[in-house]
Amino acid sequence: MTIRRLSAFLDALAAGRRPRPFQADPEDVEMISVAIALRAARPGDAMPDETFVAELHQQLAETLSPSEQTNIRPLKMHRGRAALVAVAAGLALVGGTFAVTETSDKPTVQQSATAVPQGQTLRTATFQSATGQVAGQIVLYHGHPSWVFMNVDLPHSNGTVKCELHLANGEVVAAGTVQLHDGSGVFSQSIHMDAGEARGATLYDSSGAVVASAIFI
Amino acid sequence: MFPAPKPSLTRVIDPPSASGKADVTRLRVVDGDSYTDWESVYRDNVERLYRLMYARVGNRADAEDLTSEVFRTALGPLRLASSKGEARSYLLTTAQTVLASHWRRTLGAPVTTIDPELAMASLAEPSGTEELSDAPQRARKILAALPERYRRILELRFLEACSIKEAAQAMGVSVSNAKVLQHRALRMAAKAGLEVEQ
Repeated sequence: MTIRRLSAFLDALAAGRRPRPFQADPEDVEMISVAIALRAARPGDAMPDETFVAELHQQLAETLSPSEQTNIRPLKMHRGRAALVAVAAGLALVGGTFAVTETSDKPTVQQSATAVPQGQTLRTATFQSATGQVAGQIVLYHGHPSWVFMNVDLPHSNGTVKCELHLANGEVVAAGTVQLHDGSGVFSQSIHMDAGEARGATLYDSSGAVVASAIFI
Repeated sequence: MFPAPKPSLTRVIDPPSASGKADVTRLRVVDGDSYTDWESVYRDNVERLYRLMYARVGNRADAEDLTSEVFRTALGPLRLASSKGEARSYLLTTAQTVLASHWRRTLGAPVTTIDPELAMASLAEPSGTEELSDAPQRARKILAALPERYRRILELRFLEACSIKEAAQAMGVSVSNAKVLQHRALRMAAKAGLEVEQ
């Protein structure tokens, strides 16, 4: 029963406080979505606080040194969740650029995005549990070296989960083991395989039971 | 590793003229203007991104945290040679992922989402006016689909920020009755909201 937690969530929302997390069922999600839509329509609350804007600016200024402001900074795998976010954003940026760039047979028309990863170089997929819950993401990069990155979110789980990759030729390759803390964990390591051959990935708990799977499209 | 593409020249073909003359081909720069430093990216987008997040989480604390996370994640890898449109596309895609992670952690399901393509228009428009948000129109549509008492309880709770006790007093019902009304109203509104969006 989540009625009490749902009620507490809605009370916090109505009062403008940060709601407390809970495991919502689909009906809860629909009702919360409506409550958020109504709360967001309340006049006067949608503008950011000036203090917040100033403090975030100050914090970013301390983080971003002058040299980082003008140079390309390569993404680093060990940055965990932030790296995955950046990879996903990079992929969309590449896609977005193609979307706004019209192809042409005229030699005077320049094509952009010629130096970005192409085709199967970078592949992503989402882990889903048997009940359809999103349980994380996996990113494969084919290069020198190739690497795998994954983040796993399995609420209320601890211990380790093992990841196996399923290849087009039927082989199964161990991709690594993720240590979970409070249900979350990230993992990255170099791998020796063609990322384009991967068709899927499966997560197993320590007892060998399947907890989530992902399909590369 | 992922250099952002530079602004590109795009061929634009004018529609055929009434006189029947041949198509005219010319070149133009797509989103040629770019940001000069991270501060200009921040100042130009912080308010818009905050409002985008607020509309999807409905509370100031989470909206501030998520806005902060977007900038912390995106500003480092962002290449300043990118056009403004590309930089905003990057911010929006980062925001999409940050919001998805937030809901996964908070409720285990995607309650609200960001579609970077749809959100691009609101990010590109001038900031400073709340009317740019579609939240009031959406709320009006949802409320209009409800019976009077259901509409009233939701207005009191989420538009007028009344506690459940205050809302009960305003409607002349008990607190437990107000809770039941709110629950049923939200359930009906959820169905109405889905129909409104279809």
